[in-house]
Amino acid sequence: MISFYDVTLRDGNHAMRHSLTPEFVGEYCQIAETSGVWAVEVGHGNGIGASSFLVGKAKSDDWALLSAAREKLSKVKLGIHAIPGFATIKRDLVPAIRAGVDVFRIGTHVTEVSTAQKHIEFLSGENKTVHGVLMMSHAIDVKGLVSQAKLLANYGASAVVLMDSAGNYVPKDVALRVNALKKEIDVQVGFHAHNNLGVGVSNAMSAIENHATIIDGSSMGLGAGAGNAALESIIVNYRRNDVDAPSLDKFLELSYLVETKYPEYLPRTTSSSIQSGDAGVFSGFAPQVRQIAAEFGLSQEDLWQEMGKRRLVAGQESMIREIAQDLMNL
Amino acid sequence: MSNPRIRVAVIGTGNIGTDLCERLLKDPKFEVVAFVGRRASSSGLLHMRGRLPNLLEGGVKDLDPLWSEIDGIFDATSASAHLEHWTIAQKQRKWVIDLTPSRVGKPLVPVLIDKAPSMRVSPEYVANYSMVTCGGQSSAPIIYAITKHAKLVEEVEISSSIASLSAGPATRKNIDEYIDSTEKMAMLLTGCSTVKSILVLNPVDPPVLMRTTVHVRAANFDLVQILEESRDLVSKVKNYVPGYDLVVEPHVAGSGQISATVKVLGSGYFLPQYSGNLDIINAAAVETAKQHVHLSRRAREKITT
Repeated sequence: MISFYDVTLRDGNHAMRHSLTPEFVGEYCQIAETSGVWAVEVGHGNGIGASSFLVGKAKSDDWALLSAAREKLSKVKLGIHAIPGFATIKRDLVPAIRAGVDVFRIGTHVTEVSTAQKHIEFLSGENKTVHGVLMMSHAIDVKGLVSQAKLLANYGASAVVLMDSAGNYVPKDVALRVNALKKEIDVQVGFHAHNNLGVGVSNAMSAIENHATIIDGSSMGLGAGAGNAALESIIVNYRRNDVDAPSLDKFLELSYLVETKYPEYLPRTTSSSIQSGDAGVFSGFAPQVRQIAAEFGLSQEDLWQEMGKRRLVAGQESMIREIAQDLMNL
Repeated sequence: MSNPRIRVAVIGTGNIGTDLCERLLKDPKFEVVAFVGRRASSSGLLHMRGRLPNLLEGGVKDLDPLWSEIDGIFDATSASAHLEHWTIAQKQRKWVIDLTPSRVGKPLVPVLIDKAPSMRVSPEYVANYSMVTCGGQSSAPIIYAITKHAKLVEEVEISSSIASLSAGPATRKNIDEYIDSTEKMAMLLTGCSTVKSILVLNPVDPPVLMRTTVHVRAANFDLVQILEESRDLVSKVKNYVPGYDLVVEPHVAGSGQISATVKVLGSGYFLPQYSGNLDIINAAAVETAKQHVHLSRRAREKITT
């Protein structure tokens, strides 16, 4: 059985420049409640507590979005993403428990899992469902990936989710990593695609073929950079092989809702997303790259390339301006 | 007549304490009387062997026979141990510079002494100063420069990125405390209650240098004055942190918003140069001790003459 994890209302918030409203969350969740997904994730694109000048101020705060979702979801679980360094236990996780969140995903850059120890231990001590999320999971070798995943399991995570935050993987990369994790750790394995190279759905299918049991996707692929794997496309693929797959109707209804309501935010694979994906740069930087490239009269490609060279990680948005300055002074 | 040297003990023989010893040994204003750890095998004590008069391995109680030779202590242990050390220091009538995240002492950023009302040095000889966090030390001068020339400050944000290698197990485990402590300093400094602090670790090899970006939203501000003030403060910070630089000058970053970024290259006493985040804390500790002792000596001279 696959648990489909709908990130439209979290990762999609990146694509919407954090303009998601409680009204839309309510409308979406009403349909999602019967779509057949296991959980719906809601909040700021960088997770709860991340609204900031650095990565983007949200129009509506996380609590308003979460409460709108909570009202409509009962069968389907309500999830959040939280990144230590942005979100804290006291300010964000404790209130999230009170807001009725069911699934807590704690994310760190793939090499920095130890910053999440306290948060995961706290939540598992509160008997909550906790997933450890390895962001930018391409940025480490397989051996390192396995050892970081083991730490997450030891802290008490019931699943380890590989995020391809840069949209860097092709299907064989996913197969290699999901296999390695399945072999070495006892907890569930999940996969979260980004579509920078145009292979997001194929990557999600590769994760399924290699026995990942949690699969992330979003309606119309609404998500950071070139977007995620489109959930409706994953479902239609999955249905060809598995008779127990959820029916397509509601997924199409959700995809149509997103497509008609927010045509201006729909992500796509572009020359610049392929370049950033191939260079392994975090997809979420796209709005800042667009803005700063225009301000300095630089090409986005040059900026992406230099950011790839300096290997920025998510949360270093303020470096983009400095890099643009350096490029101008060359 | 020249001032007598400031006689100190450094407690905590980890990387921070060891770097602090190296730094103090090169500073003619100081005399390191003792370096205090809890294990004879600690790498810090081994590193300092033969270079300091008292290398103590039994913890702070080993200082008992030495208190009369010590003016003050630097505490580079842990938040919980600091409480005990502060109790002892008060009994012995010594000042303390706290490099732990205990939040017991008064948050202090040396360059703002005599500038910001919340950053005055105590006229009392027995005092406890907290060095806050690396994000706090690196952002405070810029926050001060911006908010001094802004009206109705609505929001202050501090985001720092540091090299993963420079973040030890304690920093990693206490990332929430780091955030809280940095935010409290910013509130104290500006009186603004909407503050946010963010910390990001980057594992890239070669290691990145620490960057701190300050973002302030206010009803209005004077950019020319802010530029002048921040350049001036950065040059003053450079007196004790030579590797502190303004890499993105204050600029308008959206309506009602000002932003600026600093970079910190470490001095490389014992810690590698990419550990600017640790360097700035140690540099601030030494500078704070100097200023405190200077002021309390002056106060005493006034009483005696």
